[in-house]
Amino acid sequence: MNFTLFFQQFLNGLSIGSVYAIFALGYTLIFSILGIINFAHGAIFTLGAYFTYSLMGGAFGFNGLLANASLPVQLPFALALLLGSGLAGLVGVAVERIAFQPLRQRQADPLLTVVSSLGVAVVIVNLIQYLVGAEIYTFPNNTYGDLPAALNFGTAAQPIMIRTVQVIIFAVSVVILGILTFLINRTKFGKAMKAVAEDPTTASLLGINPDRFIILTFFVSSFLGGLAGTLVGSSVGIAGPYFGIGFGLKGLAVIVLGGLGSIPGAVLGGLVIGLVEAFVPSDYSAYKDAAAFGILFLMLLVRPQGLLGRTFVQKV
Amino acid sequence: MKKFAAYTSSLLVTGSLFLGACSPNSTNTAANNTTNVTTSGSGAPIPIGIAVAQTGPVSLLGQEQVTGAKIAEKYFNDQGGINGTPIKLVFQDTTGDEAGAINAFQTLITRDKVVGIVGPTLSQQAFGADPVAERAKVPVLGPSNTAKGVPQIGDYIARVSAPISVVAPNAVKAVLKLNPQIKKVAVFYAQNDAFSKSETETFQQTVKDQNLDLVTVQKFQTTDTDFQTQVTNALNLKPDLVIISGLAADGGNLVRQLRELGYKGVIVGGNGLNTSNLFSVCKALCDGIVIAQAYSPEHSGEVNAAFRKAYQDQYKKEPPQFSAQAFAGVQVFVEALEKMGDQAKANPGAIAELRTALNQQVLTGKYETPLGEIAFTPDGEVVQKEFYVAQIKMDEDGNNGKFVFLK
Repeated sequence: MNFTLFFQQFLNGLSIGSVYAIFALGYTLIFSILGIINFAHGAIFTLGAYFTYSLMGGAFGFNGLLANASLPVQLPFALALLLGSGLAGLVGVAVERIAFQPLRQRQADPLLTVVSSLGVAVVIVNLIQYLVGAEIYTFPNNTYGDLPAALNFGTAAQPIMIRTVQVIIFAVSVVILGILTFLINRTKFGKAMKAVAEDPTTASLLGINPDRFIILTFFVSSFLGGLAGTLVGSSVGIAGPYFGIGFGLKGLAVIVLGGLGSIPGAVLGGLVIGLVEAFVPSDYSAYKDAAAFGILFLMLLVRPQGLLGRTFVQKV
Repeated sequence: MKKFAAYTSSLLVTGSLFLGACSPNSTNTAANNTTNVTTSGSGAPIPIGIAVAQTGPVSLLGQEQVTGAKIAEKYFNDQGGINGTPIKLVFQDTTGDEAGAINAFQTLITRDKVVGIVGPTLSQQAFGADPVAERAKVPVLGPSNTAKGVPQIGDYIARVSAPISVVAPNAVKAVLKLNPQIKKVAVFYAQNDAFSKSETETFQQTVKDQNLDLVTVQKFQTTDTDFQTQVTNALNLKPDLVIISGLAADGGNLVRQLRELGYKGVIVGGNGLNTSNLFSVCKALCDGIVIAQAYSPEHSGEVNAAFRKAYQDQYKKEPPQFSAQAFAGVQVFVEALEKMGDQAKANPGAIAELRTALNQQVLTGKYETPLGEIAFTPDGEVVQKEFYVAQIKMDEDGNNGKFVFLK
């Protein structure tokens, strides 16, 4: 592999990895606060993309139950993105109330919450298909304004090209990482979240309402899921109601590889998996998922806590 | 640490469970849209099974087939059905995999007692489900199973979809006519799809037969959305022609990324890209794709005119090939049953004899369908008179497009 190709694949890896990272941030946020995995996150990711698309175009597709419905307004992309992600956040809150809270009140086994969130995910995915059909929706070409389709870093003989949308996604994931890190480490909100994560009973004795923080966590996590779905959707189109499932599994691999509950770990895990996939030899490129999960398997054998995860010690 | 390891394992197990529960491989949704109908001699509707992918990623194609079949049901019932007896289509969702197709076939055969089945959507599913129908001696018409070997699965298996070995080479020959300077060819195909795998073999053979230089073969999965690695690998070799075998979602995305990364040469799409649903994926970037087709909305036949009008009235666009093929599948069963006269009105006890007689009748007739005139070889292979090569022309805003036929 010559340098040009190496650099090209490195950039490809970074851009794909940042997609995984931004998706996994929402996953890891809920895990870091509540210690549970929300399997409906993939469905929320899909929903976020649909919400933004519909708010931008003012319509809901061609074949589903909502085929003839339309919205009175068509919002610009940035506004639709914020509102669409906000709606995804609200759905996340509803998921928490339906799938998680009743089980938490009964102090059910965490595995049951996993199954419960799976159930909600299936319902959401099928509901999307029922309401908007199975078509693929692509955001308009000028979604990001009049930017060129690809950036060229190389020479005419040896071009190194990357799609502009990938650079935007990479930049957004870096910004979101910064905001989240600040939010969790430097604000009262973040400290309260950590207190709830540590011990909800003690946190409530200190005047923190754990229930409110759990709802907020779900909102922020699902907001990020919806945002990720829209950004990915704007890059590759919304590939139908099942769009988020592949990302859901990859996101799981990312957070385990990066270290469960570690926010920088989610970003690092995403980038590592993206780079591993990019460097799978071209003849075997269809097996890049196997390479990504192979790395995850090796990591579990060598360092079960993940790249940036902590080893949990339970005192008895 | 033990607890952590146990939790991690449970996560991975649950991950697999999630795939099973949510993916198109799930068979749980197979039971929708069914109607219990039995064949009787008292004018009760004659049940014909439609087993296509109504959910999952392939549902994009399956729903086109549902549409085509429903138009056929209304059209033939309006014409008086089968010698006065209406037909009733019984729909079963195959989802996108073999297990779903097998379940759907079994339900149609044993519970719904259909006289024949139009389906499944994918060749891959046909290899799983058709043997079930063959063992039960139920005639099957594949509406879109173009892979090599499908009719040879058994005596009761036929297809209305022309094999890709006949259709695909036309597209390559057409682009060479448009641009004789083409020398270097890059081929992309979805390796997890039996049809795409079969189609790419035909394309690659055509490339060799035309003395072109096959510079690279890049593989992907139908579930992939990001193709930057494969695209940049291929573009490094500077191809003049790219040939894609995949389905609309992945194929359209691949086209989009090829164009966005600077590829300016000709693109030939396989049969999986032969749908107007592709337009919403690659939008303006779909412009110029050349596709060989088994169906043209412009075909000048009476049945096609009626089918085209019914489709346009409902969807305000030209009917896609998959709808036309599903219509043709229903039509073949209807016309074969018509020719059988009173025998078609079998009582439930005689369903086995009816199915066998129907199978024989299907193979002996000639049918003037939206696809043009079709007939069958004794082993169930379709013999189609006309094929078409079209080039996609998109409107400037990229929202609408059409297949313009190359003479």
